Amino acid sequence: MDGKRQQSSFQQLEKLGEGTYATVFKGRNRETGELVALKEIHLDSEEGTPSTAIREISLMKELKHENIVALHDVIHTENKLMLVFEFMDGDLKKYMDTHGDRGALKPHVIKSFMYQLLKGIDFCHKNRVLHRDLKPQNLLINSKGSLKLGDFGLARAFGIPVNTFSNEVVTLWYRAPDVLLGSRTYNTSIDIWSAGCIMAEMYTGRPLFPGTTNEDQIVRIFRIMGTPTANTWPGLTQFPEYKTNWQMYATQNLSSILPQIDQLGIDLLSRMLQLRPELRISAHDALKHPWFRDLLVPQQQAQQAPHLSQQPIMQQPQQQHGGYQQTVPSQQGPYGGY
Amino acid sequence: MAYSSQRSDETFFVESDEPSHRGMNKLAAARMIARNKQEMIANELSRLACDEYLEDIMQHVRHMEDETLPDANLIDMQREIQWFMRPYLIDFLLEAHAAFSLLPETLFLTVNLLDRYCSKRVVYKQHYQLVGCAALLIAAKYGDKKDRVPQINELNGMCCGLYDAGMFTQMEMHVLNTLEWSIGHPTVDLFTQLIVAEERDSTEVEHMAAYICEIALYHREFVSTKPSVMARASLALARAILGKPEINDGGWEHDENLTLLALSHQLHQPSVTLSRKYSQPYYSRVSGKLADFLAQQAAIARCGPPPSPPCEPATISKPLDVYSTPHKGLGNMPGVADGYMTPPITPDGTCFGHNNAVMKDYQVPPRCPVTPTPQPNNHISAYPQHHVVTGPSYFEGSSSHMAY
Repeated sequence: MDGKRQQSSFQQLEKLGEGTYATVFKGRNRETGELVALKEIHLDSEEGTPSTAIREISLMKELKHENIVALHDVIHTENKLMLVFEFMDGDLKKYMDTHGDRGALKPHVIKSFMYQLLKGIDFCHKNRVLHRDLKPQNLLINSKGSLKLGDFGLARAFGIPVNTFSNEVVTLWYRAPDVLLGSRTYNTSIDIWSAGCIMAEMYTGRPLFPGTTNEDQIVRIFRIMGTPTANTWPGLTQFPEYKTNWQMYATQNLSSILPQIDQLGIDLLSRMLQLRPELRISAHDALKHPWFRDLLVPQQQAQQAPHLSQQPIMQQPQQQHGGYQQTVPSQQGPYGGY
Repeated sequence: MAYSSQRSDETFFVESDEPSHRGMNKLAAARMIARNKQEMIANELSRLACDEYLEDIMQHVRHMEDETLPDANLIDMQREIQWFMRPYLIDFLLEAHAAFSLLPETLFLTVNLLDRYCSKRVVYKQHYQLVGCAALLIAAKYGDKKDRVPQINELNGMCCGLYDAGMFTQMEMHVLNTLEWSIGHPTVDLFTQLIVAEERDSTEVEHMAAYICEIALYHREFVSTKPSVMARASLALARAILGKPEINDGGWEHDENLTLLALSHQLHQPSVTLSRKYSQPYYSRVSGKLADFLAQQAAIARCGPPPSPPCEPATISKPLDVYSTPHKGLGNMPGVADGYMTPPITPDGTCFGHNNAVMKDYQVPPRCPVTPTPQPNNHISAYPQHHVVTGPSYFEGSSSHMAY
């Protein structure tokens, strides 16, 4: 970020999306012709720079990774802040809507996306950053089949042991049960729960726990994962939202609810969707899960390692890379998960 | 330096992070106890869960620590702002930080942002407080909950309306751009918490270490001290003051020893604002305990054999002696023998004259600007200047080392 670039260095193209505090446009670098995403943040004269922008920019400056959308520049004008991001063709939500079979994606695409998602999460956690708002709308996809984490507006750095955080994080459907129960000392595991919800959603095309309220969200989770007790979850009764009148549900077999997923995939999913945060698998361990043994590596990663065989990790080749690349064409339509 | 306290000074620290037990009904109290218990469990579990990432995180944090270290030598070059002004600003920030009930790390982050800005930009005297306010705003926005972040008009009120409201947002943006938006400075409390969890130190030790770290904020010589070094040194000193056993974790280095020694020399006349903050039960009343300890040390020194000549530089080359400085070394300090370094009573004008007399006996290191004596006023009385209290022979050893 040299700070010398002007707003006029970029040609503003169509609007990609609108968030609560920012508008995202497609843009073109006039000098290089490179496509970018321009996130415009309005500056309030009363409040100054929004806290979301301060966290987002400072954290993204620390997070340079192939599975995290790159922040190229910050341009400051009189009444707005313009963040220049690398351009991505769309978000996962949009991709599922346009390319999925009623939203459901093909297993090898899901595996590749999950691997990249966990790589991105792993990198965040190594750099003591919690994303806190993982959902399909915030996962950006490009035509090379790369998936990158976007929108770090809710992210924050954590101490070890963790600080007390707000429990108003993560879109309801992807919110971890411990957070729903009022925990303020959540940790890296909060992002893993969201990743599990996203994995199931890629298989079915529908959100796994589409709750309407905090209460409803808890019930929907218990209906599938089983209602916890003080025996199955020590410390449960201490949560602020603990209720003695919860309906008792038995734990369902995930593979009967999600028959699309193979046995290894169910194993990984059940490790991510543990009610107790401390039992949830870490991103680091999830990446080593046997489900990823037959991973298809997207074109981009194969190109980065040309000396390797075309499918370095793959043991049971199912499809050539060229073919795989075409399964992720560019997308049309609005999105804005930057 | 404008400062307006709408509330009386005493009320600033009454409102602590935790709701007070008094005036709460039984149900609320029970709920609070339950929440605390739950937090303890969660903390323990999350600590375990975090162990997996600990190594990676520490690597990153140490990298960030180096990237975000202010340079005291560059601040020396400021034409208008002088080190004697620092205690006034730190007092102001400390009170603002308490008034808005911000997280402990926010204070350290604020001072880090302030010092990094002052290492990079020329700051006019009349804008020093404004830079401090902008740093506080940024730090609060970075770490605190949204509803705790100070409103600009509230900050402006605390500055007696010295600045136009628009200047706060302007300065905030200027600080952000100057620091290239790199706000993720790992504050000292992060390292302290880690060590405390590892060594199972008591809350009292933790509070004493926090008090010492905040005393350090007032002094130039710690501006360029790494937070990880500060954490270890302040905890070791806190354990010694509270009579807890030494913890020998092996990895002590020269930096830590110098910092510990330098810290032990700055405990005598802490800011009144700061010692009042740490006199609360919430902070285990550690400021009183520190004062008692120092009084005891001074008494021992008075009764004991005549002290050796002030501060031989040779002490520094003997790390083992250095470590135990807080136990016995105080008697060797210049000034104790003269009897002026009594427990933290803010010196009055004559006391300051005396200090200056002491200073004349030594050569002031050339890189420390010669600063005028602050005007004692009714609100904030005179503060010790670091090179006055420390004596240059301590200072030469450490300052050469502190210049990163």
